[in-house]
Amino acid sequence: MPLGLLVWMLIGILALVVMIFFSYFNRFAILGNRIDNSLSQIDVQLKRRADLIPNLIETVKGYAKHEKEAIKAVTDARKALVSAQGLEKRIRANNQLESALKTIFALAENYPNLKANENFLELQRELTTTEDKIAYSRQYYNDSILNYNNLCKTFPGMFFAGIFGKKAREYLQITNTEREKPKVEF
Amino acid sequence: MEKTRVDFRDEITRNKLKSFLLMFVIFLIIIALGYVISFAYTPDAFFGILILSIIISISYLLITYYNSDKIALFSVNAREVKRENNKLYYDVVESITIASGLPMPRLYVMPSKQINAFASGRNPKKSVICVTEGTLEKLDRRELEGVIAHELGHIGSYDIRYMTLVAVMVGIISIISEIFLRSLWFKSNDRDNNKGNAIFMLIGIILAILAPILVYFVQLAISRKREFSADATAVKFTRYPPGLIGALEKIKYQNAPEKKITKAIAPLFFANPFKELGNTHPSIDKRISLLKKM
Repeated sequence: MPLGLLVWMLIGILALVVMIFFSYFNRFAILGNRIDNSLSQIDVQLKRRADLIPNLIETVKGYAKHEKEAIKAVTDARKALVSAQGLEKRIRANNQLESALKTIFALAENYPNLKANENFLELQRELTTTEDKIAYSRQYYNDSILNYNNLCKTFPGMFFAGIFGKKAREYLQITNTEREKPKVEF
Repeated sequence: MEKTRVDFRDEITRNKLKSFLLMFVIFLIIIALGYVISFAYTPDAFFGILILSIIISISYLLITYYNSDKIALFSVNAREVKRENNKLYYDVVESITIASGLPMPRLYVMPSKQINAFASGRNPKKSVICVTEGTLEKLDRRELEGVIAHELGHIGSYDIRYMTLVAVMVGIISIISEIFLRSLWFKSNDRDNNKGNAIFMLIGIILAILAPILVYFVQLAISRKREFSADATAVKFTRYPPGLIGALEKIKYQNAPEKKITKAIAPLFFANPFKELGNTHPSIDKRISLLKKM
């Protein structure tokens, strides 16, 4: 009788240990997936942004042909963004594009017809929105890494991280041009 | 860095447990009502009525559980909006869903000049956000972001499930009980129907006993803590307290009390729609001063 009880207790403890292992394994998997998803979200938004540029260039050309330099800066920045490999490079290219776009929008002030153009206004609004979304997706990416790293670096997650071979991940560290500066309202 | 972390797990567990408890209590209440009615009216048909009341209570719970958001939206006369109808509204919500990792809720607008909003649904995947017309007219982009982030905070923590269930399930019971109590008042002059009187009396007494229990659940739902923590979550999503502060200040100075909203769903709202009694929401000044410290 005591032997039977002992066996049951051992089985109980074993089951508990297995459950804890499973739950930590899943936790790592969920948080890891979240990082990957947020990474692809950044790419989605960057692509959406790049797709808006050709339309913008066409509209600007219709009203302000002479601003060749500014237009070229935007098309070049777009090209750099599309061809950039790796997240950090793409974010840098996006920052480049952002400043080129600022020049275009500032120049538009000199062209009343362009400024009043429905299509131009719509594109300007869309570009601001995607810029917002890029900033938010980067924020979520870093938040996801923070959650993951907290699990990796605190006990008891640390213990399981060692067993499952999970390591803390790197944050995205590029100076945040969007969030610090006051936003331009259109 | 630690404060940027948004983890809803504890809140979700609590809200799910409370929702279950609430439904269980309502189940028991309806069966108790059936029992009392059978006892007073037809003692012979006791089992028939018991089974009937179980069927009624289960179907009541299922219908309200799966339709609570629709009932809440219907009661405020809300209409669904797509991206074509209001791009700013849609894009702001989409931005915050990106920042929070929550799924995109369905969007609604309700007719009212007030600045106000609420979220509902039984889980984040089936969630809805409803704002007033006044909100879209009077708030700028950053302020709207603050309000939307607050509502998404309620969605992520499953506050919406419990709060909407309370509003709808208890709301309906309180409406029914009001009707019963009123008819009891009128029937007291009617000498012809003694048996009917007795039933109404009994139901009235039961409801009088149950009222404090219902009030308890309503008070649990309208806890001020939920509002403060949704404000804090909103700041974690937007990283920009001035947006939410601006919205709260506009509400403070511009909102007139709204009479069209039923009392039962008032706790769901971003700010108290009635203004005069502040007990469903923490005071706006308190919320602003906490946000300024973030």
